[in-house]
Amino acid sequence: MVPFTYLEPASLDEALALLAEHGEDAKLIAGGTGLVNLMKQRLVRPDFVIGLRAIRALAGISEKDGLRIGALATIQSLEVSELVRRHAPLLAEACGHVATVRVRSMATLGGAMAHGDPNLDTPPALIAMDGQIVARTRRGERTIPVDRFFTGYFGTVLERDEIVTELLIPKQPAGSGTAFLKFLPATQDDYATVSVATRIALGADGTIREARVALGAAAMVPVRARMVEAALSGKASDEKTLGDAAPLVVDAIDPIADFRGSAEYKREMAVVHVRRALVEAAAKAKEAR
Amino acid sequence: MVKAPDTLERADNSQGVRCRMVAASLSGKAVGQPVMRVDGIAKVTGRALYAGDVDLPDLLSGRCLRSPHPSARIVSINVGKAKALPGVRSVLTGADVPDTCYGRMCKDIPVLAKGVVRFVGEKVAAVAADTVEIAEAALELIDVEYAELPAVFSAEEAMRPTAPIIHPEAVEFVPGAAASIHGELSMYPPIPNVISRLRVRHGDAASALASAHKIFEHSFAVPSVHQGYIEPHTCLVAIGRDGLVDVWVANKGPHIARTHMAAAIGVQENRIRFNPVAIGGDFGGKGSLMDTLVCYYLARAAGRPVRMVMNSFEELTAGNPRHSASITLRTAVDPDARLLAIDARVIFNAGAYGGFVPVPTLHGGYGELAGAYRVPNCAIEVLRVYTNTVPCGHMRAPGAPQVTFAVESHIDMIAHALGLDPVEMRRRNAIAEGDLTPLGEKRRHLRCRETIDAGARAFGWDKPKSPGIGRGMSTYEHPPGNFGLSTVALTIGIDGRITLTLGSPDTGTGFHTIAAQLVAEHFAVSVDEVEIAQGDTLSSGFEAGASGQRLTTTIGQAIAAAADRMKQDLAALAAERLNCAPSDIGIGADGSFSAPGAMIDRRTLMGWAAERGKAPLTCQGENTPGRHSDRTSFVAHFAEVAVDRETGQVRLRRIVTAHDVGTVVNPITHQGQIEGGLIQAVGQAMSEQIVLKDGAVITAHLGDYKLPTAMDIAELETILLPGGGGTAPFSTTAIGEMSNVALPAAITNAVFDAVGVRLVELPISAEKVLEGLRAQASAA
Amino acid sequence: MRTIKLTLNGTSVSREIEDNRLLVEFLREDMKLTGTKESCGVGVCGACTVLLDGTPISACLALAVHADGRAVTTIEGIADGDRLHPLQESFLRHGGFQCGICTPGQILAAKALLDANPHPTRAEIQHWMMGNLCRCTGYYKIIESIAAAAGAE
Repeated sequence: MVPFTYLEPASLDEALALLAEHGEDAKLIAGGTGLVNLMKQRLVRPDFVIGLRAIRALAGISEKDGLRIGALATIQSLEVSELVRRHAPLLAEACGHVATVRVRSMATLGGAMAHGDPNLDTPPALIAMDGQIVARTRRGERTIPVDRFFTGYFGTVLERDEIVTELLIPKQPAGSGTAFLKFLPATQDDYATVSVATRIALGADGTIREARVALGAAAMVPVRARMVEAALSGKASDEKTLGDAAPLVVDAIDPIADFRGSAEYKREMAVVHVRRALVEAAAKAKEAR
Repeated sequence: MVKAPDTLERADNSQGVRCRMVAASLSGKAVGQPVMRVDGIAKVTGRALYAGDVDLPDLLSGRCLRSPHPSARIVSINVGKAKALPGVRSVLTGADVPDTCYGRMCKDIPVLAKGVVRFVGEKVAAVAADTVEIAEAALELIDVEYAELPAVFSAEEAMRPTAPIIHPEAVEFVPGAAASIHGELSMYPPIPNVISRLRVRHGDAASALASAHKIFEHSFAVPSVHQGYIEPHTCLVAIGRDGLVDVWVANKGPHIARTHMAAAIGVQENRIRFNPVAIGGDFGGKGSLMDTLVCYYLARAAGRPVRMVMNSFEELTAGNPRHSASITLRTAVDPDARLLAIDARVIFNAGAYGGFVPVPTLHGGYGELAGAYRVPNCAIEVLRVYTNTVPCGHMRAPGAPQVTFAVESHIDMIAHALGLDPVEMRRRNAIAEGDLTPLGEKRRHLRCRETIDAGARAFGWDKPKSPGIGRGMSTYEHPPGNFGLSTVALTIGIDGRITLTLGSPDTGTGFHTIAAQLVAEHFAVSVDEVEIAQGDTLSSGFEAGASGQRLTTTIGQAIAAAADRMKQDLAALAAERLNCAPSDIGIGADGSFSAPGAMIDRRTLMGWAAERGKAPLTCQGENTPGRHSDRTSFVAHFAEVAVDRETGQVRLRRIVTAHDVGTVVNPITHQGQIEGGLIQAVGQAMSEQIVLKDGAVITAHLGDYKLPTAMDIAELETILLPGGGGTAPFSTTAIGEMSNVALPAAITNAVFDAVGVRLVELPISAEKVLEGLRAQASAA
Repeated sequence: MRTIKLTLNGTSVSREIEDNRLLVEFLREDMKLTGTKESCGVGVCGACTVLLDGTPISACLALAVHADGRAVTTIEGIADGDRLHPLQESFLRHGGFQCGICTPGQILAAKALLDANPHPTRAEIQHWMMGNLCRCTGYYKIIESIAAAAGAE
């Protein structure tokens, strides 16, 4: 492990001040599952590590025009939270697929966003729910849609002195159903070969009012498949229609070939799983009506 | 869900009375009982001491700098900055250590690279420092200049005349280990980079193939996989003021390792002491010294004890994983689908060094080739070849999983080509009483067909199945090992308690518990009255350690010999006490001694003996290694899969495993061996693979190298056919390498049954299955 | 350097540590509690599982400073004197271990499961225990040990 000085601010303001002061030389730590691994491999060598765990303002889940989730909420707490299960079942489901119970118990939702890893399970779920990220600097606060948050491989729009404080999940449309599929052809504890989160809202006449499709492990960043969404808007929610729209996902993705599959295979699997997730979400939406 | 033998007394028809007598003579206190492990409480409380748990005053941490190149000349190494770092106590390069190379047979592994590196991950320099952090920081300060050289990664390419020669100097090897090989063995034959070539012939395969009704030829590839033990290689070396070298190392055979270390460092064997520690899993991977030699030189240079622990990156990139193999089989059959001849060529990729295995070639690469079948003519060529990749070692039934995947796929392919049910194909060709093995050996008591039938029945082979579901099977045979010396010392203390001193750790299999049960059985006492003491290499007799499923057999013989002597000594003592002749002494079911009209229990007897200076009593026992075992065991696996035609994903739903067994000493540990072996095979079949890119391992940690988890197991039913047995005392045989070998072929055969896609390479990948489905569709 | 105060296996402990100390190093080296093992070092294998305020975590990925003010339970802390915890008893009885190196982590993970869900289904046991790798047993007897301990409670 690389050496560093650990700082533990008691308030968000104090944390922002420390981050502003140390900037390039500092890293924020919440659960640590991402950062500690990188520091142990000596790939990241901050002089200062700023621990966020004592900041009360970053904890907690509340319901107010949807859900407000403190950045420090652990993945495990979200998986089992009654509030999340009721108002954002897609997030609870995605959280249940994250790694193992130990990682879920340590890792936080804010950390999962700031880490910028395109293979994670929670970003596509948040994108499919129109989630937003609240981030703050000493200069002020901004709200960023999750689908515009990621800029490149392990890259985000966050400024050096900016801290993710909250995740917002708006009230989900009435009559909507969701699905999360994580394709794991090797073992059950693995990064996804591809993961898909979908949400379908049906209108009174049974046609698709609005669709959301997001993918993980399908490009350098978590992606939203807007072409698929657009193709489904106002259409019937039968399997044929959903299946015809699914192949449009290939324009939104750019998978990386690795030992989990060739780029071509991952593209094909994206199509299959987008279709399956849409079918599942549509079925749930019909039930919900 | 285990169907246990009905009773141990159940008659064994071929053995008749003899076997029944053996079984009936069991005390009911020890052998055959599900006793708790003797190391159990220490292990569930975290008190068991593994090498990494040993703490010594002034202990330093050692780390190694490793090569980033698969093949390069070391132009220069500058360690000046590393040495100057505060807290660094010693820094070594190849120039600081003797030229002696280490190896269990082929002496080709330098302590630290000398002038050249031959694989990505080879040790180039080593540092001992106050902490791991300081040692790692020091490694970054070492400047190495390399001049890259041509490298070769595939065994086939390495054998070409133009291939770079990885070991241009002659490699010294100990011929001893080659002596037991039958067939025509050439070490370092005149083929580029070949370590060994073995040709084994029985009958006349060439003629049989030339005149055959039909010939089938198929090729297969099996990648390297890691043993996957959870405890990484760990060692500590402390050199005492008197020069005694103390070693704590995760090694399964400390006596042999001590001998190798003595030769490598030029210190007498009796000035080196390997201390007892628990082993956190072996599976064949912990037979070498690994980092112990460099650890010794670091400790010597620093004048302080040093600990070295390989991290998981090092384990996966520079451990000693299973050899990858490519295998081609040509088989002749007659019009009745009977096997007439097999011609096999097996090429093992050994990686950059051959010294991690104690043999010239992998025994499983030829020894059990088609062993479950009657094949009158057989010609096998096995090559072991250097490449610029991770040096490979032994893993549970070395060579056998690779070759058995090929044979059991091949037999299935022939069955399908001939329109024959795969079970019927195997039944028809299964070796039976009176047949010779494919290598021309005689064996008794062959129950291959019975094992297949029992498994098929339990599995419901003939029952209808849904679309997308596939069923496959595979078989394997292997005798218990009866090689290598086992020595034990049995002591009866003045309190009557029995202690068995052993020279080898329990690698996890339960062998210490088995030993305690065998001892208890000889004295008709409960296992609680037997203490197992794992001695160090100075205080215990020689024990070759876990290998080739030998321990129950070899230590069983050693224990029986010691127990016989002990019983004689005790009878003599009892005769003296009871004033009769030793021949008048009887031993009761409770372990007491009786003479006409008199009786004494063991404790009282030993108390009496102690007063006369005749207790404690100690007796040694040894086995008779090398005596040929003419008994073998069979296993038949049945697998059911579901295949997703859109993704190619294969789900393993159900396994039935049927075993021909002897006396089961401990049903818990026996079943544990079966279950653990099966899931290792599931890993090899479904997810595990050491992936190389330009010679470097890219599946370099457990996030990318995928071991099966608790979610990846299938519904399992185990069938045990009682009444088999070996030449070992109490009619025991072996189980350790029976379940992990053949299962992958049962799974790929099931995939073929489900969707008609034949996989000739492991592991199964969804992508490969989908490619197969596509090829099928475009061919149609 | 800084001082951390925590409850370790029920006892208050105060120690000075380096800022970059990992919890696994603190436990094994500073507190000499070597029942917690370290293997993969990347949070995958579960050999270093300990309970932090009752929740299973990877001690190889946790900073020791993050244990400050909290309760840590290791394998050394779950027996009641000489009386084994029911899970320890069950692992012994059902052969839920072989080499034993993953066993402390398995037992602690299982304890957290049964504390949260005293009567899990087999599927729930498998899902929860998925993060604790074992190369010896093939998991069957681990699952059996946990199910039996749950039944016994």
